[in-house]
Amino acid sequence: MQHIKQILDRELKKGSAELLILSLVEDQPRHGYDLSKLIEARSDGVLKFRVASLYPLLYRLEKRGWIQGRWIEKAGQRRRRYYRLTPTGAQVLKSQRSTWREFAQAINRITGIEPA
Amino acid sequence: MPWKNLPDEIAHHLQDMYDDLRARGVSDEAARRAVAAELEGAAFDRPLSDIRGDVRYALRALRKNVGFAAVVVLTLALGIGANAAIFSVVNAVVLRPLPYRDADRLVVIRDNLPASGLRDIVISAVEYLDYRARNHVFDEMAAYDTTAFNLTGRGEPERLDGAVITASLLPILGASPALGRAFADADNQAGRDRVVLLSHALWQRRFAGDPRVVGTLITLEGRGVEVIGVMPPSFRFPDDSIELWVPIAFDADLVSENNRGSRSYTVLGRLKPGVTIAQAQADMNGVTGTLVRDYREQYRGGFSTTVRGLQTVIVGDTGRGLFVLLGAVGVVLLIACANIANLLLVRAHGRRKEVAIRTALGANRARIVRQLLTESLVLAAIGGVCGLLLAVWGLDLLVAIAPADTPRLTEISLDRRVIAFTAAVSMVTGVFFGLAPALHAARVDLNETLKEGGRTPGSGGHHRARRLLVAAEVALALVLLVAAGLLINSFARVQDVTPGFDASHLLTLRIAPPPATYTFAKSQQFFDELFERLHARPGIEGVGAVNALPFSGSGGDRSFYLEGRLDPRPEDRPDEQVRFASAGYFAAMKIPVRRGREFTARDSIDAPQVAVVNEALARKYWPDGDPIGKRLTFSRQDVKWYQVVGVVGNLKHRSLEIADVPEVYVPVAQPLFAGPSPRPMFLVVRTAGDPMAAAPDVREVVASIDPNQPVSNIRSMEQRIGESLGSRRFTMLLIGVFASLALVLASIGIYGVVAYTVSDRSHEIGVRLALGAQPRNVVAMLVGQGMTLAAGGAAAGIVLAVALTRVMTGLLFGVSATDPATFTVITAALALVAALACYLPARRATRVNPVIALRSD
Repeated sequence: MQHIKQILDRELKKGSAELLILSLVEDQPRHGYDLSKLIEARSDGVLKFRVASLYPLLYRLEKRGWIQGRWIEKAGQRRRRYYRLTPTGAQVLKSQRSTWREFAQAINRITGIEPA
Repeated sequence: MPWKNLPDEIAHHLQDMYDDLRARGVSDEAARRAVAAELEGAAFDRPLSDIRGDVRYALRALRKNVGFAAVVVLTLALGIGANAAIFSVVNAVVLRPLPYRDADRLVVIRDNLPASGLRDIVISAVEYLDYRARNHVFDEMAAYDTTAFNLTGRGEPERLDGAVITASLLPILGASPALGRAFADADNQAGRDRVVLLSHALWQRRFAGDPRVVGTLITLEGRGVEVIGVMPPSFRFPDDSIELWVPIAFDADLVSENNRGSRSYTVLGRLKPGVTIAQAQADMNGVTGTLVRDYREQYRGGFSTTVRGLQTVIVGDTGRGLFVLLGAVGVVLLIACANIANLLLVRAHGRRKEVAIRTALGANRARIVRQLLTESLVLAAIGGVCGLLLAVWGLDLLVAIAPADTPRLTEISLDRRVIAFTAAVSMVTGVFFGLAPALHAARVDLNETLKEGGRTPGSGGHHRARRLLVAAEVALALVLLVAAGLLINSFARVQDVTPGFDASHLLTLRIAPPPATYTFAKSQQFFDELFERLHARPGIEGVGAVNALPFSGSGGDRSFYLEGRLDPRPEDRPDEQVRFASAGYFAAMKIPVRRGREFTARDSIDAPQVAVVNEALARKYWPDGDPIGKRLTFSRQDVKWYQVVGVVGNLKHRSLEIADVPEVYVPVAQPLFAGPSPRPMFLVVRTAGDPMAAAPDVREVVASIDPNQPVSNIRSMEQRIGESLGSRRFTMLLIGVFASLALVLASIGIYGVVAYTVSDRSHEIGVRLALGAQPRNVVAMLVGQGMTLAAGGAAAGIVLAVALTRVMTGLLFGVSATDPATFTVITAALALVAALACYLPARRATRVNPVIALRSD
């Protein structure tokens, strides 16, 4: 069971990781730890990003110009790097969302799972 | 590049995680385990994957801290540049082969006559011919002598330095004329020697580079001589000053057995392939052995030769001074390295987090060391390039201030060897200052580092390393300072030496009436008239002439016999410096007459012969009696007595550093032997004002008597003495500059350590102040710690200096290499500077606000 969960985790993350990050920074800029916490919390612990995969992903997205990171120091807090969605990133998010939606619907139709 | 943010971001991430866990009540240990687990399996080390990546990463890291990089590069550029410049000189003067064919096979042969105490002297024409005929080790031999020639008949008469040579000399050196022909063996025969080769410089200067000069007649020493060729611009032999070459005329007189002892030639030999200098020496020992048997009378006091490499002979003592300089400048670089290593240690401390995370992300220790070392090497490479640029500029300066008598001065340049040396020094430097900090930095514990949070006191090892480096800097700086102190001390003592005459307001120049146009009597008339006319000029207070002027590089000894001791054993036969002086010479020089009188115009060729001796000679030969009235002669066959009429003070002749030698003065008007030829003389003119301002006057007067008579070698006496101190001044100046640099670097090091201690321990200092400690006591504590460090370094430095300054013994004058006064003064001066370097940052500690210092905890 644990084994299957690991495979599922990896495969899903591979396909969906970019979408997850872009979605999470859509409303407001967020830093890496915040992102990892949100992913873990909102997925009820099903999805979990470790630093070793999270940051390379963030840098990849930043390099493509989808998100932009900036060091911000807030009063009484540690200095952190916040990532926000760029206009290009917003377009990518839009198209990835519709692709994911179509993909999920297709899978659902085949497997007979009711839409959530 | 987003990747550069990785270490910081991950650090913050992990710290957030740890804080969160702790806030949720997780135990410290469990929280740490969770943080470690978060990193498990992480092995993305992308930016550190290869050397190119390392270099890119290093450049980025340095860009992040431009101030640090600039300080390091500047320090290195100065250190490496100075090393490159000094090495260029060593390379050109000592290391680079001479610019002659098979230069390593060229040797110089000189005579030794132990009975007369003469070593390493020149060789007679007869001996040269014997050596050439009897040796088995040389391909070819050549002889030469340097002399000066009056060039007349074309514009301004001029006295030129030249050399008389055998036809074999140019082939031995692998040189041939750029224009015209070289000498043939026939040119060395008497009567066929009226040919001359010009230097490229002389050809350009006096003959406007006209190629038709070959075949024309010029007037040298009043004789018509045919120009047969022009040498290429690169050809210089035996030194840079030589402007023409004429053949030695081996006439019957020169090669007669009577002249076996008339030594004036330097003899060169080219070793047969495969023959070593030692083998050549052994062969020459055989040759001199047969000569001693064949000419028992001439060589009764023993006779041998010394064979040495031409390069060794040319470089002479210059090499030792240069290697001392190279050592000194190397020490400066070492100190610079220590300072940089210190900076890197501080920087490494500030980068522990970055290193910790990289370690956690899978980079092993070797990997981290390689990365940090790459940074040092990148810094060293940049510093090396800048240093080389500085060296190009510094070299011009160095050549400009180098003493004029430095051999091969014109050959000094930056060549491939210098560049290779600089590159090697840079890389070694990079490893030297980078390795320890890198090893140190790579030894970090992630958990410890993260836990430390904001306040990061230095680890014990880190402090120890820094203190050790600074102590080493102080030790090395002390060695250089002591060396500089000893040299300055020596220089002052040399300058304090009185030359035995008044060197101020003294113009000196050389006048050589050529034998072709002047008889001895005519030359005497010329000088009499010259003196008379000069005396009539305003501003001229005294005039005299001598054949061998002090500090002119000229001189010569002769043997003589004292009355009543006409038949001494050969080894007891007096042989001393003999000078020929005019009336008025001692007065013009202000050489004190201790007893009797000096020469006057009445001491003419017809008058009874007289002589003047100096005190050293009087003491040596008449230790108990009065020399006045004693008589001496220069020949036993044709006895002509010279009666001592005066005793004059001793004087320095070759240099201020050489002890007074015995001297005999003879009036130039009373030649030693019959049939004299005119004698080249140095004119000394005492002036009321600036001596050099009188030079045009003197030229004018000479020209008014003989428009074809050149004057040359025009210098004030002070200039001559100054030149004689040139190499001492050069070494002192450079060692002084290097020592000052070392002192500045070492004090920066001390300052840095104390300043760092202050900021590192501001918390502790705050507590002390809050608990009522007096700021004064805190400063005393910090200065005390810094000074302990300096004292340790100084103690080691003194030991080191005692061991190392020994190599300088030959460069010192009047002080011993372990002169206690110099050591004391230098150590005290260093202590003073060190105290200041401690006090300045320590004072800041008293401004620590206890409240703020405590709150920052």
